[in-house]
Amino acid sequence: MLSVERLVKRYPTGDAALRGVDLEVPAGQVMALIGPSGAGKSTLLRCVNRLVEPTAGRVRLEGEDLTALGAAALRRARRRMGMIFQEFALVERLSVMENVLSGRLGYVGFWRSWFRRFPPADVEEAFRLLDRVELAESCDKRADALSGGQRQRVGIARALLQNPRILLVDEPTASLDPKTSRQIMRLICELCRERGLAAIINMHDVALARLFVERVVGLRQGAIVYDGPPDGLTPEVLTTIYGAEDWSEARRRGGADEEEEEEPEVDEQRLAGLT
Amino acid sequence: MGGLRARAAAARPGRTAPLLAGAGLAALLAWSWHGTAVDLPGLFGGEGMRQVATYVAGLFPPDLSARTWRDAAAGAVETFAISLIGSLLAVGLGLPLSLLATRTLLYRGILFEGRRPGPGARTARVALYAAGKALLNLLRTIPEIVWALIFVFMVGLGPFPGVLALGFHTGGVLGKLFGEVLEDVDPAPLEALQATGASRFGILVYGVLPQALPQFVSYALYRWEVNIRAAAMLGFVGAGGLGQRIHIAISLFQEHQLLTLILAIYAIVTLVDALSAYLRARLV
Ligand SMILES: Nc1ncnc2c1ncn2[C@@H]1O[C@H](COP(=O)(O)OP(=O)(O)O)[C@@H](O)[C@H]1O
Ligand SMILES: [Mg+2]
Repeated sequence: MLSVERLVKRYPTGDAALRGVDLEVPAGQVMALIGPSGAGKSTLLRCVNRLVEPTAGRVRLEGEDLTALGAAALRRARRRMGMIFQEFALVERLSVMENVLSGRLGYVGFWRSWFRRFPPADVEEAFRLLDRVELAESCDKRADALSGGQRQRVGIARALLQNPRILLVDEPTASLDPKTSRQIMRLICELCRERGLAAIINMHDVALARLFVERVVGLRQGAIVYDGPPDGLTPEVLTTIYGAEDWSEARRRGGADEEEEEEPEVDEQRLAGLT
Repeated sequence: MGGLRARAAAARPGRTAPLLAGAGLAALLAWSWHGTAVDLPGLFGGEGMRQVATYVAGLFPPDLSARTWRDAAAGAVETFAISLIGSLLAVGLGLPLSLLATRTLLYRGILFEGRRPGPGARTARVALYAAGKALLNLLRTIPEIVWALIFVFMVGLGPFPGVLALGFHTGGVLGKLFGEVLEDVDPAPLEALQATGASRFGILVYGVLPQALPQFVSYALYRWEVNIRAAAMLGFVGAGGLGQRIHIAISLFQEHQLLTLILAIYAIVTLVDALSAYLRARLV
């Protein structure tokens, strides 16, 4: 359903963030994209909906070449891709309801945007979604009055109100505590199953990924180095993804040198728990 | 290691820079002190002080006759009106102009991500920005009192030139401030809206304005507080309100009326400060 072909992204500053990525995501599949910080996970997601303009390669959604679209067609295509952010990216001063309704902005015209009036059907659907993410009572609160977990649920409802075919989820739990993280991951995965949505979920928490997804893709320095089930994440594979070899080397030497600060961080206990 | 040493060496000349800057600042201060002919004994001792004391004593008691009351009240209402309408005019001028003084609305940032306007279109937009900025600077650089002189010359005496003077000067101030607010909004929610497929207009209405409006209101209220004081002064050049009456009272040596008018200014300034604080608490 989503296919990424030889995707390359080179930022004006610095080296290539993506070096020819090929990725197929079938309809309804929930997959995790893991990799150390700076591997290019966010860049890959953002190239899919072209918040970041790819340098080369193709992205197809349900057969349509997104990389070839003009501005108006791109906006229409974006409606089919819901995005969820690490820092929630809500408009803090608007109510929960208005934040959720803003997911329909791609569908409504000039005047409805201006008067902030959405069709009744949209409002009903927004209520249903808020109910589903257990925020029905908070719908008139301002977004900045909510906790982190609640805000992320608003973000999820906003993305779902678009009626997307796929969710692009960028580190949804990195700003949350461990328990809330699990709840949010469970909610996202349940919703995808209920609605038959595909999802690419960026995360750096390998243990959490193993709990919830059917497929894991490992990215390292802009290239895919693993693609398979969570069970295949052996210590060797994790070493390939996270470069743990250098890291264990660093541990032997005491790990206080300047060079090692550049190395990706790996949670030692998490990796140990996976073996 | 070599890198560290090089960095330390590079940092060393930096240590003399603050010293130089400090010395320069001190010199500037001394020069300014001298240049403004600061004369403390002249201020607090001597003949001048005594004369002022005599003059102030001569103001008492304030004239509370019905006629002066009515005059002061009419002047206060006029000054209030000048400050209010002048501030509204300033918002009316500053708001559209601020759109021209906002790079993130014209040619760069989230709204233009991924769009590559032709070099001609971009140059035109940059030029528009420069023109908007220049116009705002011009409006802002000319003080209210000079605007008032210009408008008194153009439309005659009365409150109207006062309104125009406040509107033009404050319009320049607010335009600049509004532009800065618009450029400083948090880009993350804008990006989220962009990802939903929202148009630029939708992003503006749902993402930019909700973040900017409270600050617009706050700045406008603050400038209103500034303008009530300015409005009271503009009368000195014939632009209506209490200032004009004060000018007359001074010229005609009507000391007791003068004190009543000064008290009226005090009352109206206090009233506007309170109103502004109330509105700020309600709206921001
Ligand atoms: N806007 C940008 N401009 C320049 N370089 C960027 C930008 N965003 C990311 N990068 C670089 O691209 C690489 C990949 O970043 P990113 O996609 O954010 O990785 P991840 O999400 O896996 O942490 C990093 O080297 C990062 O410094
Ligand atoms: Mg990232």
